[in-house]
Amino acid sequence: MPDIVRKALWSIMAAGTTLASLSFPAARAQDTSAAVLARGEYLATAADCVACHTAPGGKPFAGGLKIATPMGDVISTNITPDPDHGIGKYTEEDFEKSLRHGLRRDGSHLYPAMPYVSYSGITDEDVKALYAWFMHSVKPVAESPPTTSLNFPANLRIAMSAWNMVAGTVPPESGDSATFDKMRRGKYLATALEHCGTCHTPRNMMMSEEQDNYLAGAPLAGWYAPNITSSKTSGIGGWSEDSLVQYLHTGHVAGLSQAAGPMGEAVEHSTSHLTDADLHALAAYILQVPAKEDSAEQKPRQHFGHPVEEADIRSGNLTRIDDLTEMDGQHVYDANCAACHGMNGAGTADHYAPSLFHNSVTGAGRPDNLIMTVLQGVDRTADGLHTHMPGFGASSDVQRLSDTEIAHVVNYVMKTFGSGDPAVTAAQVAKLRPAGAQNTP
Amino acid sequence: MSSEQTLSADVVIVGSGVAGSSIANELARAGISVIVLEAGPRVDRQHFVENFRNLENKPSYQGPFPSVPWAIHPPNQITPNEYLHTTGPDAEAYQQVYLRMMGGTTWHWAGCAWRYLPSDFELKSRYGQGRDWALKYEDLEPFYYQAEVMMGVCGPDPSVEDLGSPRQQPYPMEALPISYAAQQFRKLISEKTPWRVVHEPQARNTRPYDNRPTCEGHNNCMPICPIGAMYNGSYSVYHAEAAGAKFIPNAVVYRIERDSANKRVTAVHYYDPDKGSHRVTGKYFVIAAHCIETAKLLLVSADEQSPDGIANSSGHVGRNMMDHTGVQVSFISGDKALWPGRGPLETNVIDNFRDGAWRDTRGAYLVHMVDDNQVDLATALAISKGYVGRELEEQIRYLASHTVRLFSHNEGIADPQNRLTLSQTHKDVLGIPHPEVYYKLPEYTVKSCEHTRGMFRELIGLMHGTDEQWTPGYFPQDHPAGSTIMGTDPKDSVVDGFCRTHDHENLFMASSSVFSSVGTGNITLTVAALALRVADTLKKELSHA
Repeated sequence: MPDIVRKALWSIMAAGTTLASLSFPAARAQDTSAAVLARGEYLATAADCVACHTAPGGKPFAGGLKIATPMGDVISTNITPDPDHGIGKYTEEDFEKSLRHGLRRDGSHLYPAMPYVSYSGITDEDVKALYAWFMHSVKPVAESPPTTSLNFPANLRIAMSAWNMVAGTVPPESGDSATFDKMRRGKYLATALEHCGTCHTPRNMMMSEEQDNYLAGAPLAGWYAPNITSSKTSGIGGWSEDSLVQYLHTGHVAGLSQAAGPMGEAVEHSTSHLTDADLHALAAYILQVPAKEDSAEQKPRQHFGHPVEEADIRSGNLTRIDDLTEMDGQHVYDANCAACHGMNGAGTADHYAPSLFHNSVTGAGRPDNLIMTVLQGVDRTADGLHTHMPGFGASSDVQRLSDTEIAHVVNYVMKTFGSGDPAVTAAQVAKLRPAGAQNTP
Repeated sequence: MSSEQTLSADVVIVGSGVAGSSIANELARAGISVIVLEAGPRVDRQHFVENFRNLENKPSYQGPFPSVPWAIHPPNQITPNEYLHTTGPDAEAYQQVYLRMMGGTTWHWAGCAWRYLPSDFELKSRYGQGRDWALKYEDLEPFYYQAEVMMGVCGPDPSVEDLGSPRQQPYPMEALPISYAAQQFRKLISEKTPWRVVHEPQARNTRPYDNRPTCEGHNNCMPICPIGAMYNGSYSVYHAEAAGAKFIPNAVVYRIERDSANKRVTAVHYYDPDKGSHRVTGKYFVIAAHCIETAKLLLVSADEQSPDGIANSSGHVGRNMMDHTGVQVSFISGDKALWPGRGPLETNVIDNFRDGAWRDTRGAYLVHMVDDNQVDLATALAISKGYVGRELEEQIRYLASHTVRLFSHNEGIADPQNRLTLSQTHKDVLGIPHPEVYYKLPEYTVKSCEHTRGMFRELIGLMHGTDEQWTPGYFPQDHPAGSTIMGTDPKDSVVDGFCRTHDHENLFMASSSVFSSVGTGNITLTVAALALRVADTLKKELSHA
């Protein structure tokens, strides 16, 4: 898949000048040439449409994913070309209105879980390519996911028009996006397509992205999308362009960070499929985003910790297995983490199991991502490698840890290898488990 | 001590190991109510891992799993034993270990997931020895595959390496990569002998599978896989629970109640650790309590209606005890260093003697080149040779990298004299007698072991080996089988081809206890396949009821 996409893109790049020379108003008849369809597929990948419009285990683009918002769950819709359940009846104009303006075919407003505020920046030509691909290449699915029902006032879709006035949109880029220079292409990828800000930019009282705090970090369904501004201390200003490219391509850079949760999905479904040129453009743009400081993070996240020497906790005594008491953090670590990450925390030699020191997750000012990783594990396929760490939550077959044990081990790991003891409590862990999945040891 | 409550389910299963938990999972998914009674406690992996790390004697498979007083299991393979009392000329060769715990003995196996050969099911008709099963390989083939998918088995492509058991589907996962030691061993065998080394099929992840990680080669599958890359019964327990099955730990079944005609089982009774008694009723009952405990339970439940024990009109309950009683040797190779101990424990096998015309006179066998870390053996040997200081360190390094350990699974055969009975002298805290086994290695197996010894000597010669250390006598393989033997004739067998007891129409056995012959491959996959076939039978009967 990545190779095909990449090859297709090169052909688009090569054909870029030809495409650019087409005059838009005249091209009323839809162009469904292979080059346009390939371009549409690449753009849909870069915009990571599949991430939200596919339910876990569901058919591609058939919708049904629940997206948690403070107003309630927004359920993504079927965007396959099925005429009754999907967008099969959408004209190109209808498609453009929903993509760039958040308006459904019936004129009602979409909830801004759909990042139309970002997609508003997509060029006319790219909208056409996306439309062509969705209509001709995506397999129709005759299923309707459940409808969204939010709390007042957001349950009134009309309220969204007022929201839109406040949130605003950005004007679309013009011209042929394939011919943009590096920084313009990078901005286009980051803002209009990858919509990085949807997760990484904090939102104001009205739930719209605070443009003054672009990419300054925000909570995300239990995870924390970190500050990725150019701040040397709170952001990723210390990363090289090559490192960021490697991260987006593989999901992992030894001594820096690795992607799990929503970012793992973004890498798997989207950024790992981008061309090298696009990754460099994206990385270069991100690395010049104005620095925003965060008082919780005064030192680069990847600069904490060191290997533990002589962590010998052997007692020679066996646990009485008819009298099991909850273990302290060091013992939970020893029994559940050390086999892969090492007693000393250095991980495996090939970095498949990463080092826990010099690691942005343990060095973060917030324990959120470590707690979520312990609960949910890692399951990321990128660049041909399936990286898997089992979760230790309530559905784990490997080991189900209690809230207290998870609090203990997170505190131990961050104190020993990272930014310091975050004093996580069992109650904090309990809140992050999916509803109904509380562990009763 | 009185019956304080009555529980009830469509199907009541005794034992939560691979057999009991996989049946529970299949039935619960089909909407059938299930209660599983497990004698032992419920313990998480992390406690076993911590125990293993605290253990001084690392190769002690039972070490990290101390038993509870109300569900004792053999603490070790030493005779006399605190629980499994063995007698007879080869008493020490039947010193089996197993676990009485939620999830069962697959907490500490090496993941070897062999299918039996078609000939293993037809030993009598093909070779005039032992017994035939009351089913054929083809009957079990779909259930073998179902078991392989359930456990996550990796194995070789049959077009490249045919292991002799015909397959309708490829293995769920690709075979394990071959360790350095195994590469050296393979090369030697293929260049210098007429034999071959094959990939051992393993219930072990060679890629992320079933939400569990890929094997990292920690080399301590026994006693405990620290990361969950290897299958164990606890996963099937979790899956069955998610589907609605109820598991009750610390529930020691001691009585099997039947109707007045003695045709149907009506309930089982269990003790809790304080000896409070509980009655559990159901439509069907499955005893899935390991070969030894299954026979023990049937015998313990003897009453006026069935004075010789339940399902025992043939008198064969507890008889025909088999194993893969084998031979073992370690030696120091005079050739290049092998550096064993990198990767899973048991991955490479010489399979040339699993079948042949000679099976009319001597048993088959299979040879493991055991890929375990040899530092402990090497250290003991270096110290015994009197090395000290720097020389001792160098010797340990040399010996650990050059030690070769071979052992064999030799084919046992059903002999009614090899018999499990209830101990007259030992009882547990609940008053339940300990098991006792008389064992004399059948001549058929003795001949097989002699052949193996000759083959091992040949291999030692080829590798210019020194410092041979033969395990004295014979070596128990912890694969007990035969105690409720399968057959078509109710007069000389306990269960039929569907593992249903001849005597009681709603009582099934799911364990190696039903094996009519024991072949050479490790028994667990066949136990699982038979169990899944029991589940299939029960699903059909309950849906028609």
